[in-house]
Amino acid sequence: MNANVLEKAPMASVAPQPAVDPREEQQLVKRAKAGDMEAYGGLVERYQERIYATIYHMTSNHEDANDLAQETFIKAHQALKSFKGDSSFFTWVYRIAVNKTINFLKQRKHRIHMSLNDLDFNAEHDADFVALISDKTPRREVNLIELQERLNAAMQKLSEIHRLVVTLHDVQGMSHEEIGKIMDCNTGTVRSRLFYARQQLQAYLSDYLK
Amino acid sequence: MNSLPEDFDGLRKLLNLKRYEQPPPGFFSHFPDKVITRIEAEGLVGRAPWWRRWVRELDAKPLLACAYGLVIVGLLVIGLGVTQSGGPDEIASPALASPWFAQAPPSTLQVNAQVPARQLTDKTASESSVNPVFTGSAPSSLFDVNRLRVERTSYNLP
Repeated sequence: MNANVLEKAPMASVAPQPAVDPREEQQLVKRAKAGDMEAYGGLVERYQERIYATIYHMTSNHEDANDLAQETFIKAHQALKSFKGDSSFFTWVYRIAVNKTINFLKQRKHRIHMSLNDLDFNAEHDADFVALISDKTPRREVNLIELQERLNAAMQKLSEIHRLVVTLHDVQGMSHEEIGKIMDCNTGTVRSRLFYARQQLQAYLSDYLK
Repeated sequence: MNSLPEDFDGLRKLLNLKRYEQPPPGFFSHFPDKVITRIEAEGLVGRAPWWRRWVRELDAKPLLACAYGLVIVGLLVIGLGVTQSGGPDEIASPALASPWFAQAPPSTLQVNAQVPARQLTDKTASESSVNPVFTGSAPSSLFDVNRLRVERTSYNLP
């Protein structure tokens, strides 16, 4: 294994709040509204990783995530004039991404395919992974690719809404409140959806979790 | 309903592994440019000035930027080499290099420059409109009017 790979950081996630100065974001939005494409490029640069990661974990496919992430930012640019600033730009773009992804997944219902070629093999050294394939785990012969495939297959069995909650909370590390804003529902609904989704996943992945 | 964190601890650890699924290296450095290019291509905004599009293109294609850089450096080196290859004989004197001399054929300039001023003012010397008369040294500049003197000449008409 390439030593350089080991130093790579995981994809942007576990970032409950974007580390962006709100005033700076407002300035960029204002300039972008006035037609400054450089400012809009700055906004894209800030949020691209989070948006991409969410879409990727929802679709489990790099090409689809790439297309949808691009379409999200294009759509956001088209609708920028209607952005009133009631929520942060980040939340607003997230909503666009989520709606686009859910619509896409509904259309793609029967076309599930995995794309794990881009898997970062650094995961083999992750403490959680090592623990999962330790002697206590019944599936000792499990390898990383197989585990990721099973994990993604289990995710794809969830409904879009439940997959989204798990992605935003357990993979992206967002708070219940923030997920509620994005999904336009209260935190109680977020919690109950998360609980149900976890139960489902636990059942699908029982071999790995005993 | 019990949603205590410890109930799903193993599952959450497993889900953490998804963070390692990454796009190809360099994906995010080109992504904003792709978005902007698509927005502009779809005519949603006015096209950016040529220099901004050029810079963006260089940003998106580092190899192209390197190629441009190499070409520019190459041209500079060639230019420097050509400049320095000319020996001292080939370098014109400052006076001859002035724009005033540049308008006349070199042979004429050499002959006239070597003619003493006194001979030129002599009545016996042939003076005509096709044989310019110089008095003193050549002016250092075309606009050095204080040192440029024009003398009357006669025309022998039949």
